[in-house]
Amino acid sequence: MTKFESVLIIDDELPIRRLLEISLNAAEFKVFQSKCGKDGIIDVASHNPDLILLDLGLPDMDGIDVLKNLREWFFKPIIILSVRSQEEGIIAALDAGANDYITKPFRTGELLARIRVAIRSSQKKEKEPVIFVRNLMVDLINHVVKKDDIIIKLTSTEFLLLSLFVKNQGRVLTHQFLLKNVWGYSYMEQTQYLRVFIAAIRKKIENDPTKPELLITESGIGYRFAE
Amino acid sequence: MSLIEKKYSKPQGHFITYVRDYLITIVIIAVVVLLCIPLSKSSGYHVVSFILLFIVTILATFMGTGQVLLASTLSAIVWNYFFIPPHFTFHIDKTEDILIFGLFFIIALLNGVLTTRIRRQEKMTREREERTNALLTLTRELSKSCDISQVLIVAKNQISLNFKSDALFILQDGNNILIKYSRINRNIDFSKSDIEIAEWVFKNNQNVGKYQNFYSESTETFYLLKGNIINPGVLVVKHSYQLSKELFSFWDTFITLISNALEREFLKEMASEVKILNESDKLYKTLFNSISHEFRIPVATIMGASDSLINAESNPDIKSELYYEIFSASLRLNRLIENLLNMSRLETGRIKPRIDWYDINDVVSKVSSDLKDELKSYNFKISIPKNFPLVKIDFGLIEQVLYNIVYNAVQYCDNDAEIIIKVSHSNDKFYLEVKDNGKGFPKDSLKNIFNKFYRSVSNETGGIGLGLSIVKGFIEAHGGTVEASNRKNGGAKIKCIIPSENPTFTKYN
Repeated sequence: MTKFESVLIIDDELPIRRLLEISLNAAEFKVFQSKCGKDGIIDVASHNPDLILLDLGLPDMDGIDVLKNLREWFFKPIIILSVRSQEEGIIAALDAGANDYITKPFRTGELLARIRVAIRSSQKKEKEPVIFVRNLMVDLINHVVKKDDIIIKLTSTEFLLLSLFVKNQGRVLTHQFLLKNVWGYSYMEQTQYLRVFIAAIRKKIENDPTKPELLITESGIGYRFAE
Repeated sequence: MSLIEKKYSKPQGHFITYVRDYLITIVIIAVVVLLCIPLSKSSGYHVVSFILLFIVTILATFMGTGQVLLASTLSAIVWNYFFIPPHFTFHIDKTEDILIFGLFFIIALLNGVLTTRIRRQEKMTREREERTNALLTLTRELSKSCDISQVLIVAKNQISLNFKSDALFILQDGNNILIKYSRINRNIDFSKSDIEIAEWVFKNNQNVGKYQNFYSESTETFYLLKGNIINPGVLVVKHSYQLSKELFSFWDTFITLISNALEREFLKEMASEVKILNESDKLYKTLFNSISHEFRIPVATIMGASDSLINAESNPDIKSELYYEIFSASLRLNRLIENLLNMSRLETGRIKPRIDWYDINDVVSKVSSDLKDELKSYNFKISIPKNFPLVKIDFGLIEQVLYNIVYNAVQYCDNDAEIIIKVSHSNDKFYLEVKDNGKGFPKDSLKNIFNKFYRSVSNETGGIGLGLSIVKGFIEAHGGTVEASNRKNGGAKIKCIIPSENPTFTKYN
């Protein structure tokens, strides 16, 4: 018998919590609910869930503050629920340690996929050195990338960037995160670099670079590598 | 010199002039009498009486009644005393001389009094004429002015010209509340309490201030500007003298004319406001109708479909169809809400583009993948030159722009129509075009399609007419422009022109 993974929902909207509960129960998750930030923090401490779904617009506290508070002692995945046109809030949340985000209204299927990715990657003890995604193979140790079994030549920066995506497969990576980790702090504003390199990588790994299926754009936030 | 000034500068040196006039009268009579003494010796004393009568009449033409009375009395007495024998007595011997003396006295009096009266009447006529002219000038000037501020300028000038007084207008805002600081032309120091008084006057329809029953210790007088329908406001005047009864009626006419002119302008302004209100009311109704209509359809779909799912035992095929209906209705609702929210963000000026470097290919591929289902039955093409430079945009906003334009094209084109996204660039801008080979825009709607809540007449596709106005708003937030046109060979074209710098980093090794 497998242990059910538990999810805590921190959201003030009852209909949303009910919908999530139904969908998550159906997907065999154990569900806890909190209707405000303060309750949420207490419930996290008492239930120690495997994942938290945190609404950014809470009545009593700013969602970002809840997130920051939790991140001081809670290291399991947190997924942000937000509304569209809150890009800045989403980026701030991701930078403050949220693992992922999803905008309301969302498709339940997509949410479940995100939840699974987040839980899986958090439970993965060791990163696998070789990753297969569709027709792509990335060997992180030997720095080899193959598409349909044909070796693709990448520059070192391109490989660095791609490996970052591969290691965080399924997870959204913000522009800032990518710039910081590939080029360093002093290049945080140089989004031009990022665009040019992303376009170059897409040209090499995607079947149709104009319809990317591996390196997916997250509007105004960053990129996500497909599962 | 104004007529008022002539009349009212007089009281200042009143007493001195008065005494002076009497003295002059006495001196003139005395001189004439002295000159007549030799004459009376040769021609007799009756001639003297004629000369004196003549003098009195002349005096009457430029002296006041008092002086004329004095002159006639004096000349009668002097004539009696010096010329009627026995000389140097008031005694008159002859009965005929008594008669002549009496007649002389009466004629002198009548002559003097009548002349003064004629003169006064003539003066009054002249004054009345001047006032009439002043009122005419005022009327003419007022009728020439075509807004409130012009009326105020004319009124102020005319008041200062005719009454030598500084005038200050405090007008209402159209809702019976006095506007405190705008529209006040500052020539008079105006304290807070003055404004309170003005408000009191406005509320209680009563004039107060100097020379009035209430608050007469004030240095200014507060007049209510009365209109037939609305009272335009309050006039504050620093009178330099008290107005006489007749002058007050002149003043009253004066401010009535000004009030009427102000009222006229007020009503004109209000009429145009009402027109605007009516239009916005109409807009509001249209908005409400279309929004409620647009919301009702998907809500009805969701209700109906979910109801059948709950209550009826349907076969799996029908069930999945119902689920799909619910899903697509919810997408439609979501799009509606998204558009309304975006519009309200635009309206409240909360759109601040987060401009950064982006690959336009990303935007286009994002939108085409989001609209993949809708575009399935169309001949959809993308045309972006290779190595297109990066552009500086707000990704989310431009994504919305492109989404809305393409979605619009999908709504208005028949299946199998061609829909093309074309991106091109020049030195400091780039162009985002969406064209189709559908029906195109109705000719008369071209100039309106970017207006809020506008939907072309031939529209049977639903929607609340926000999509393209959001496009316009977002493009303008980027400092760009958007134009709509019909293509030569049929079909619609929407072209966004967005400024963008040239990227500094394009290639690497």
